[in-house]
Amino acid sequence: MATFQDQSGDRPGAGSAPRGAAHKPSNSSSQPLLDVRAVSKAFPGVQALTNVSCSILPGEVHALVGQNGAGKSTLVKCITGVHPPDTGEIDFSGNRIDAFSPKHAADAGIAVVHQRMPLLPELSVAENVHLGRLPTRAGFLDRGAANRRTRELLGRFKLDVDPEAPVGSLTVSERQEVAIARALFRAAQLLVLDEPTAALDAAQSQRLFAVVENLRRENVAVLYVSHYLEEIFALADRITVLRDGRLVRTTRTSDTNETEIVTLMAGHRPSVGADVERSSLPAPDVRGAASVRLDGVSTDVLRDVSLSIDAGEVVGITGVIGAGGHEIARVLFGLTTPETGSLTLGDAPYRPHGPRDALKKGVCLVPEDPAREGMVPEMSVAANISMVDLPRFERRGFLSLRRERTTARDYVNQLGIATASVDTLVRNLSGGNQQKVLLARALAANARVLLLEEPTQGVDINAKREIHRIIRNLATEGKAAIVISTDVQDLLEFADRVIALRRGRVARDVPAADTSFAEILDVTVGADVGTAA
Amino acid sequence: MSVDPETQVSATSGALGSPAAAESEVGPRRRRTWTSITIGGLDLYSLWPIVVMILIIIITSLRASNYLSVSNLENVISQIAPLGIVTMGQAILLISGGIDLSVGYNASFASIVTGLLLEHHHPLGLDILAGVAAATLVGFVNGVLAAQNRAHPFIITLGMSIFLFGLDTQMTGGAPVNDMGGLYTTFGGTFWGGIPTVAIPLVVVVIITYVFLRWSRLGRQAYAIGGNEEATYLAGIRVKRTKIYLYTLMGLIVGVAGMVLAGQINEASFNLGQNYELESIATAVIGGTALFGGRGGALRSLQGVALYGVVQNAISFAGLSSNYQQMALGVIIVIAVMVARASR
Repeated sequence: MATFQDQSGDRPGAGSAPRGAAHKPSNSSSQPLLDVRAVSKAFPGVQALTNVSCSILPGEVHALVGQNGAGKSTLVKCITGVHPPDTGEIDFSGNRIDAFSPKHAADAGIAVVHQRMPLLPELSVAENVHLGRLPTRAGFLDRGAANRRTRELLGRFKLDVDPEAPVGSLTVSERQEVAIARALFRAAQLLVLDEPTAALDAAQSQRLFAVVENLRRENVAVLYVSHYLEEIFALADRITVLRDGRLVRTTRTSDTNETEIVTLMAGHRPSVGADVERSSLPAPDVRGAASVRLDGVSTDVLRDVSLSIDAGEVVGITGVIGAGGHEIARVLFGLTTPETGSLTLGDAPYRPHGPRDALKKGVCLVPEDPAREGMVPEMSVAANISMVDLPRFERRGFLSLRRERTTARDYVNQLGIATASVDTLVRNLSGGNQQKVLLARALAANARVLLLEEPTQGVDINAKREIHRIIRNLATEGKAAIVISTDVQDLLEFADRVIALRRGRVARDVPAADTSFAEILDVTVGADVGTAA
Repeated sequence: MSVDPETQVSATSGALGSPAAAESEVGPRRRRTWTSITIGGLDLYSLWPIVVMILIIIITSLRASNYLSVSNLENVISQIAPLGIVTMGQAILLISGGIDLSVGYNASFASIVTGLLLEHHHPLGLDILAGVAAATLVGFVNGVLAAQNRAHPFIITLGMSIFLFGLDTQMTGGAPVNDMGGLYTTFGGTFWGGIPTVAIPLVVVVIITYVFLRWSRLGRQAYAIGGNEEATYLAGIRVKRTKIYLYTLMGLIVGVAGMVLAGQINEASFNLGQNYELESIATAVIGGTALFGGRGGALRSLQGVALYGVVQNAISFAGLSSNYQQMALGVIIVIAVMVARASR
């Protein structure tokens, strides 16, 4: 709030004022910049945050870590005004936040830098930085002044971008810097960096770390959300660990180490589906029938990945977002052609030309985002199940709706899909049931190899348990199930084997019984990569 | 019954509605609002064009004694027949997330091809075949271009429309071909057992469209593509090929409409199908077909055509100029889209 008036444009050269005057007095002040007290937030069916407190000091780099679903993004959304907390209080710069909206947060001086910043590619860097507050002279835009001011701002934070370049011509990391500059121009005192290195290569990441150091020097606080602990240990002053929507601990980085943080993140979560028995070994003749192999496969994302999955096996592939799990699914489903390496399905070389070809050869993808990639929401349950193999329901050139519904009803019963009827539109179903409709479609496709992306994401615990059971049953029937998930705990509970990826490489390939949550977490997010057995 | 949007239509149509249709609107999370009130399984909101139509008929009949007559009904049917045919094709494309703005000049194109061949005394059957084939070819080209996903079909078919306007004018030299021979004797105000003959191709096209959307693989794929193209592709459906088929089918339907139009007024000219592009989109949307794909049906869209015809007819009965028809149509389109939005 204190610096808000700086932005009216009446002050000549905002950057020339004594630095720091616009910001909170000093780093040593014990008064926290942001003070979150006992915040709870629930969504239908999920308690996302329970009684979480944490504080961020002025000029501090504060890391927020936790497993998927630990509540990191919900906490960020509470702080940045996207979700008002159900209970609890948030103070910023000594003022109570009582109106929650992204605009209020931005006006107060809290800015988020997402991976996908809403920048306007056709406009210049300076125009993007000044957007909505472009300086004018006699009623006309004063581009010269905008460029000059932007150059000063960029210089102050050692951001290396040309103010006059169109944003569309910049690299991902340069765009990120423009987004940071825009936030700083709006006098942000707290920058939230949400997985800032996910889309960056090593050199770009280094550049970002330098920017973060400069922010610290300029007394701007940073809330740094990342999966990568090595980054966090290199940058952060303090670390807050969340688990299952609760605060585990906030600690000074100098007082802890990676092993301890991994242990805190892992905790001891109650088992979801202890009743899922890993099937007895499938009949020997089934084994190998649908085995899938990748040999030295590389793509934009993957680096020399070799792995094999047998019929009757449930294999979990995990890793942080961008580590390559989904890329493996894309390769197997014919959506990405490997640059090098080869695929084998059964005994024959496998080169899928696209989804249709992959399906014909018995490989079916159950995509991660049912709403975007899976469902046709305006069609019925039956039509969504049958669409993968419509010719099967044709009689003399016409669709037999009766056959279609009968088949759909079988699957609805078999998988326990909760729906009023098979004619119900899929958009009226809950998330877990939509997932099951997709599973039913995979069954209808009669696939031998199932690629399941995040099959239990966003579903409640009962649906989760049932989906585990269904996948295990499919494996027992001789199918190969490949489950790509960021939920490690989940995979450990029902997969036979877990393959952990890190930055496109297989970091570990181990039977689920012989590993632990902490170990997998360590190889996917920890620093010691080379030690994988 | 599996594709729900069509189910609502079968309920509204009375004659074609089956008892089973009623149950299909059951949705666990459907909120009770005025738009979801059903009476005896009939969904009130999707019936609104018919309700409005009946109101207009009642009001007009009170003011004009000769309004409710067989000859006036025949009048209305003759007026809407060619548009109704085009609307069926447009509905299929809209459901698939596509659109065709070239239908007007494509219908003209078909009539001109047939008309010019007739002038040279070729046999009628062959001429009709050539005209329809020409329009089908245009549809095929539209489909091939639209399937590339390089440009929105709106632009592609707009370009095609402008191209065809030039071609039509060039072929006729701007002057209409004035003798459609056998086509005129078939469709030019002719009746079979009291029914205007133009109603026959309309009914046939409506039935084919209804069956196509409900019981054919391609029709189902049209709903799927319009509802979620990405998901449809990932489900192994050949999206490009399906689009080409659908646009080609549209061309075929437009060719038929061109024949009916030319026969009705006994001429082939570049402006024969003028405005059909926008009118067919408007009537399909008024009837309840979604402008951006995924929902709609043959009988629903026919509802829109019927309302459009009745409004036109009532306004001319009231002695008002055709300018008022345009104004009324504009109002109805906006209401239709808002009602559709409210029901979501």
